[in-house]
Amino acid sequence: MTNFDLESYERVMASVLIAPDPIVALDALDADERALLEPIDHDGLRMAALLVARLRFERLMHGSARAGEWFESDPRAFTQAFKRYHASVPPLSTFPLDEARAFEAWVTSDGAPRSPA
Amino acid sequence: MIALAFTLQPEERYLELTAPLHELVDVFEICPETTWRSDGAGRLIPNGFHAMFLARATELDKRCIAHGVAFSLGSARPDPARRAQWLERIREDRATFGFEWYTDHLGATEIDGQSLVLPLPLPHVDAAAERVRASLSALQSVVPDVGFENSVFYAQKGNPLDEPDFIASCLSVPRSHLLLDLHNVWMTAANAGFDPERYIERLPLERVIEIHISGGNVSDPAWLPSGRAMRLDSHDTAVHEDVWALAERWIPRCPNLRALTLERMEGTVEEDDVALLREELRRARKLVSA
Repeated sequence: MTNFDLESYERVMASVLIAPDPIVALDALDADERALLEPIDHDGLRMAALLVARLRFERLMHGSARAGEWFESDPRAFTQAFKRYHASVPPLSTFPLDEARAFEAWVTSDGAPRSPA
Repeated sequence: MIALAFTLQPEERYLELTAPLHELVDVFEICPETTWRSDGAGRLIPNGFHAMFLARATELDKRCIAHGVAFSLGSARPDPARRAQWLERIREDRATFGFEWYTDHLGATEIDGQSLVLPLPLPHVDAAAERVRASLSALQSVVPDVGFENSVFYAQKGNPLDEPDFIASCLSVPRSHLLLDLHNVWMTAANAGFDPERYIERLPLERVIEIHISGGNVSDPAWLPSGRAMRLDSHDTAVHEDVWALAERWIPRCPNLRALTLERMEGTVEEDDVALLREELRRARKLVSA
């Protein structure tokens, strides 16, 4: 594997891990892209994707009291909103306050759900 | 002498509850980026925990080591501006905390500007090892002794027992070290179905500067359509007896080991846990004093 395309590997792996269903995303790859990742444990891939989302959720909870209040008051609605946010907004933030700003911007954008606050 | 270390975490309740334990250790391990925030203008500046951690270390005269998550050692094409920001912040923090060494995680967390935070597994190829070596060299411009932890990978291309050779290749840079996380080895072995001893015996043990021990939970079977439960790197339970056994067996075989660290995650410590953590630190002290 001396000519392994590292950049493509990382891009494809990241795209699968932030997809709503990583296995559906894996299956949708073309053969060359799929060969970059496989063979790979599908359960492990799903678990990694869950943890990527969970870490983002935690960043948001640490950065936004408003999001925390929404989650506390209506966990089902908040969870649905967070899933839509995670699926539609790339994870560009490493720090909680930046994640909070990105979430607030998404909430106030057209078509996004409104928090009760 | 091998130092005993404990993690400081960015949560007031955690710091309050674990405060009586801090005198029992020699060193505090700090995740630098948990003490930062961005100022919105491209600079990383200290958040409130920066001063709290520094006050605790100063008050108790503790040494500090750094263990980050998101420097992204394995990124194929790291963002130069981000790298420069991080190195500047780490330089300032090293001057403040006196970090004796700086480790991060094997893997890539930053890809095309996206921050996944969970380290992505690297393929065991020369190009990936070269990226890790280049990143370690960049870190050495700020902290001379650097390294990485063997990460948990829930899904990995290739044979996990090939990883030790890849790690050795990544660590060919002088003064680059391995942080051997025994819980990570043990739980990855459980998830992937291999013998953790076979993995550890293949590692470059002379490069181990620090060992991590921690506990971890098992995932809810409802999380996966297959109903499978997987071991997690959650740092939220007692250290498993199997991990203690690995520590007892392998600590004497790491000739350049400088610290044994008990890790615990914020949000996982209640009053009832403090006695357990005290006992774990006592047991860990015995291991490094043996």
